[in-house]
Amino acid sequence: MTSEVSRRDFLKASAAGAGFVLTFRIAGGATSAAEAAGAWEPNTVFTIDPSGIITVHITKAEMGQGVGTALAQIVAEELEADWRDIRIDYPTSDPKYGLMLTGGSWSVNWTFDALSRAGAGARHLLIEAAAKHMNEPASECIAEGNRVRHLPSGKFLTYGDIVSKGLITATLSDEELKKIQLKKPAEYKVIGKWIQRLDVPEKTNGRAKFGIDRFLPGMVYAKVIYPPTRTGSKVVSVDDSEARKVKGYISTVREGDIVAVVAENYLAAVAAQGKMRVTWDKGPHANVTTDSITQDYWNKAKNDTSAPSWVDVGDADGALAKSMKTHEAAFWTDYVGHAPLEPMNCVARYQDGTFDFFSGSQFQTRAMGDLSKLFGVKPEQIRVHQQYLGGGFGRRLEPDVMLEAGLIAKAVGKPVKLIRSREDDIARDFYRSCTLQVLKGGIDSSGAVIAWKNTLVCAYPGERYGGLDKQGRDQFSLNGSDHYYDIPNQFVRAIRAETGMEVGYVRAVAPNYTFFAVETFVDELAHLAGVDPLEFRLRMLGGAPRLQNALRLVADRAGWDRRSSLPKNVGLGIAGVTAQEKSSPTWTATVIQARVDPGTGAVRVEKIWCAVDAGLVVNPDGVRNQMQGSLLFGLSNALKERATVKGGQIAQTNFHEYQLLRMNEIPDDVEVYVVQSTEYPTGVGEPGVTTVLPALSNAIFAASGARVRTSPFLPDRVLKALQEQKA
Amino acid sequence: MVNLSINGTSHSVDVPSDAPLLWVIREHLQMTGTKFGCGMGLCGACTVHLDGAAVRSCQTPVSQAVGKRITTIEGLDPEGRHPVQLAWIAEQVPQCGYCQSGQIMQAASLLAKNPHPTDQQIVDGMSGNLCRCATYIRIKRAIKRAAQEV
Repeated sequence: MTSEVSRRDFLKASAAGAGFVLTFRIAGGATSAAEAAGAWEPNTVFTIDPSGIITVHITKAEMGQGVGTALAQIVAEELEADWRDIRIDYPTSDPKYGLMLTGGSWSVNWTFDALSRAGAGARHLLIEAAAKHMNEPASECIAEGNRVRHLPSGKFLTYGDIVSKGLITATLSDEELKKIQLKKPAEYKVIGKWIQRLDVPEKTNGRAKFGIDRFLPGMVYAKVIYPPTRTGSKVVSVDDSEARKVKGYISTVREGDIVAVVAENYLAAVAAQGKMRVTWDKGPHANVTTDSITQDYWNKAKNDTSAPSWVDVGDADGALAKSMKTHEAAFWTDYVGHAPLEPMNCVARYQDGTFDFFSGSQFQTRAMGDLSKLFGVKPEQIRVHQQYLGGGFGRRLEPDVMLEAGLIAKAVGKPVKLIRSREDDIARDFYRSCTLQVLKGGIDSSGAVIAWKNTLVCAYPGERYGGLDKQGRDQFSLNGSDHYYDIPNQFVRAIRAETGMEVGYVRAVAPNYTFFAVETFVDELAHLAGVDPLEFRLRMLGGAPRLQNALRLVADRAGWDRRSSLPKNVGLGIAGVTAQEKSSPTWTATVIQARVDPGTGAVRVEKIWCAVDAGLVVNPDGVRNQMQGSLLFGLSNALKERATVKGGQIAQTNFHEYQLLRMNEIPDDVEVYVVQSTEYPTGVGEPGVTTVLPALSNAIFAASGARVRTSPFLPDRVLKALQEQKA
Repeated sequence: MVNLSINGTSHSVDVPSDAPLLWVIREHLQMTGTKFGCGMGLCGACTVHLDGAAVRSCQTPVSQAVGKRITTIEGLDPEGRHPVQLAWIAEQVPQCGYCQSGQIMQAASLLAKNPHPTDQQIVDGMSGNLCRCATYIRIKRAIKRAAQEV
């Protein structure tokens, strides 16, 4: 599947403001249902109805970040709205919304300026219209709390009055919009306030609707019979004779290598699925295993010298030869799944040439592009009706379940609900690639790092996301290996692996594994140089003062100085990162206190401290909640999550085998310190995750002397590292 | 036909007696607050009460629920203002929210049996419920808050 979204779209979108069509339209044109009902819809961002209710249209997926509340706060601030009159909705996909993509911790970062201007522009037009109606100069009028007030006389018009009277006839050009003076942070009344999330109440009473909660009239249920390998299997024959006997069975659908049964209700579909006999040719990847992949990775790391570089500064080999001390270490990370608790599902309808998909999506633009191509319709004939996402983490960037549901719905001529079992969900996930990183470093007589080499082997999801670059690299698979440390000679080689295991982007993406290697290896070099690991980092971060600040802050809060007085088998580890993207870094530093049982290798994380500088904070409690959650998501990755491959397929089937962190495994506390800042905001959904592997590996070393360089840090791996350290 | 009493209302459904209660509630009766997560009793997303005690509805054949009071998240409190629900809002617990019906039902049952649980009792009572967003710290805090108000 090649994507309709080009690399250029991504690059364009990363400029603040992309993803919105902000051009203000002339009112009264009634170009939408809302306007036909007398509302004012100045642009695609929000609508003000005649009663003064402001509905902000959230084109980002709500998957736990509270994004709707934060984005509405930005609009409300400049619009001078009364927060009680703010509502949010999640509109159906439409090309008018531009790039509909939620990921990369980009939501606030990409939209802050645009949403601010949308609000400010509308405020300007509301003041002008009200002033004219009141026969007063606009310069004597202000907007506040959903009203325009004439200061000298106290006369006012509410936003509802202005809209219901149809007073706004002017519009703003893009040029005028760009020139609008935005508020200064000191003037903010809504941004930066502890405002409760708008989606929380309905997430406590069962009313929140996720994709799986949708029903359509006349709907039937489908189950797909998935192939025995992750990729490459072909259908040889289909025998549905037993399935046909199941009460409620409707039909069998076969479209290429997709085989499905359709039944009147869910349980009948499950029963029929169990009776289907499909014979497969398992294809070229039927013998792929974790061992064969590991072997392949090591061969590539040793022998592939033609792969492109990702970083090439100075002369790393020359500097290594001149170093006083050198060090080498290899880091491995296993496959990690998204495992959203809501299994992938979709309700699909095909009617009058148009496909309607009711499903939570992080990437409607890609769904529209890819699916329109596959179904042979125009992109606007693909409509994604957004739902709450029962976890995204990158899994719902992929339109695979929509494709299946759409094919089946078209074939049976009825709306279809497709719900994957947990087993199917785990088998069909797009895992974070397993990775190998072989690092070499050299220090001079002063203890400074003068040479850095990294050979990074991993698989790339990039072709489904705008393609690889000219050198065949996937930037999203390599980010983070180009760290901020001042090292004069650096070389990072990027080697692509192709294993037959489909890979995807999992929360925090490459910086999970790149910073694991970078931040653990820096720790190792600090010990080689005999310098305190915090001090060692600070010396090399002259170009990143905000990261220095976060590191100092978290070290202070965690009591970095008490390291020598900790109990036996307990240690502190530190890591600092610039995730999520180097161009929009959130400066994040974490200290972990861990206890290692030298007899079993079991690791217990006792406490986590994290300092985060994401620039201006829109919703402080939202930031805190995301940081706490992302740190524990990282801990789940670090301690528990290991997917292995057997016979070209993931070997794990459900949560007893693919294990996630539970409440009995969390630390006593996760303390988050949010740096006060007026810098342009970045994002907080992911960076915390990336600090956990390195901070924990460094803590395990501090506690036990063992370097665990294979993630997750399962007890047998820790035990092995302990034994190697003793040997 | 199977007769069920859910949130004080009786329902007749045409399903086999071994049908999991979860799917009857969700897909036949379209009460969707109760969630499907794993189908093996490993995640707790499908937790409901049978005569006040938390059970995994994906592991409960509908025949076992006949003649019992079934309570789902929709019926925990008619206004959604059970002390546990209020504590969940006060502590701003949910992220994606998908597991939270199950978490709340589990917590409400825990507090009904033990109104003042220790930290360890909370952990023991709640560790069968997975939260992929890992809101565990706030869940713990909300249970303690609710315990003061039950």
